[in-house]
Amino acid sequence: MGKSKRAQLEEKTVAELRAICKDQGITGMTKKRKDVIIDALMKTRLPKQTATKSAKKSASGVVKPAGVGHTAKLAKQANVEPVTRAEFQMSSVLTKPSAKAGDKCTTAIQVSCGAASGKFPVIGKTVGAVAEFLREVLNVDRLAEGMVNGDKVEGSYVLKEGDTLEFLKPAGQKG
Amino acid sequence: MNIIIAGLGGVGTALTDPLCRYLQYSIEIPGPVTVKFVDGDNYEDKNYERQSFVSIGNKASIKAAESKRRFDRLNIEAIDEYINEDNISDIITEGSIVFICVDNHASRKIISDHASKMHDVIIISGGNEFVDGNVQIYMRKGGSEITPSLTDYHPEIRNPSDRSPEEMSCEELSESAPQLLFTNLTVANIMCWVFFAAVVNRKDPVNFAEVYFDIEAMSVRPTIRKPLNR
Repeated sequence: MGKSKRAQLEEKTVAELRAICKDQGITGMTKKRKDVIIDALMKTRLPKQTATKSAKKSASGVVKPAGVGHTAKLAKQANVEPVTRAEFQMSSVLTKPSAKAGDKCTTAIQVSCGAASGKFPVIGKTVGAVAEFLREVLNVDRLAEGMVNGDKVEGSYVLKEGDTLEFLKPAGQKG
Repeated sequence: MNIIIAGLGGVGTALTDPLCRYLQYSIEIPGPVTVKFVDGDNYEDKNYERQSFVSIGNKASIKAAESKRRFDRLNIEAIDEYINEDNISDIITEGSIVFICVDNHASRKIISDHASKMHDVIIISGGNEFVDGNVQIYMRKGGSEITPSLTDYHPEIRNPSDRSPEEMSCEELSESAPQLLFTNLTVANIMCWVFFAAVVNRKDPVNFAEVYFDIEAMSVRPTIRKPLNR
């Protein structure tokens, strides 16, 4: 029995994993830990598989690129084979500018504050909105600054797939 | 190795015993070891719930005398003063490893600012609220920052709203927020983890430059912190 995809990824170095991310258009991984990179890759189908499937379908003639608004009648008039199936590719500029066909969509990213941490469906939301949304759950201070992928950001920053968000928790004062 | 323990309250007293034991007996620790206990405060009866002292008096002096008897291979010194801008250059010298166990951000800022001008120094700073807290490591090597200073990601330390104990009135000193012994123990414990990882095992401290914990949530989370571009 072959190794699982995760096991295969875990055998690779961080540099190799980052290279795979780059090939697959996954951004924001340069500062991530290995487990985070693997998680991101696990959410993404390998491009080879996607390309192979598409190629097979196109070769069999079952799937044709579909134009919007064309009907069988128009196709007949134009003396071409009518479109029987349509395949759409959807990606969100807000959440993942580099999305490719076959990429899985996820709406959850890692959000933390102090010792509290979890995955929350906040892609496409601003950091300021997330601070309000998770204030009670993560005990986010009203004045807490947001950091995305280790860098401080404004409250208007819109979260994208692959981001990690941390709200800075004040240091403990007593001792 | 020159170790300084600044502050001998709930965290400091929890730290001294295991740290001195390790420094005396571990084969990982090379050469002579000096440990300076620094605190201008006196141990009083009200402290008995969280702090371990054998008698009443200056905390640094009592703890140093007690530790000298138990850890005779260490060169233990007592400095019965609070760290301030006048004495810090004499106490924290090049190559020191400083454990900050104080109970105010004003003192943390004084130490962090002093360290930021040094060539080689390691600061391990712990602090807590009632059930949660954090530990930071600020390391400088060869005149460069390996991890962020204590103030870089913490405006509350950069611009402290509190004052150092020397500047406080007697009323302020007597009004202390309630603390939990177990939380103090956790801070001291994580400070030992950080020391072991960064100093003994020489792990990259960026990966645990700040460690948060919450004993109520049963959670500990290390965070990656890189020095800010200056």
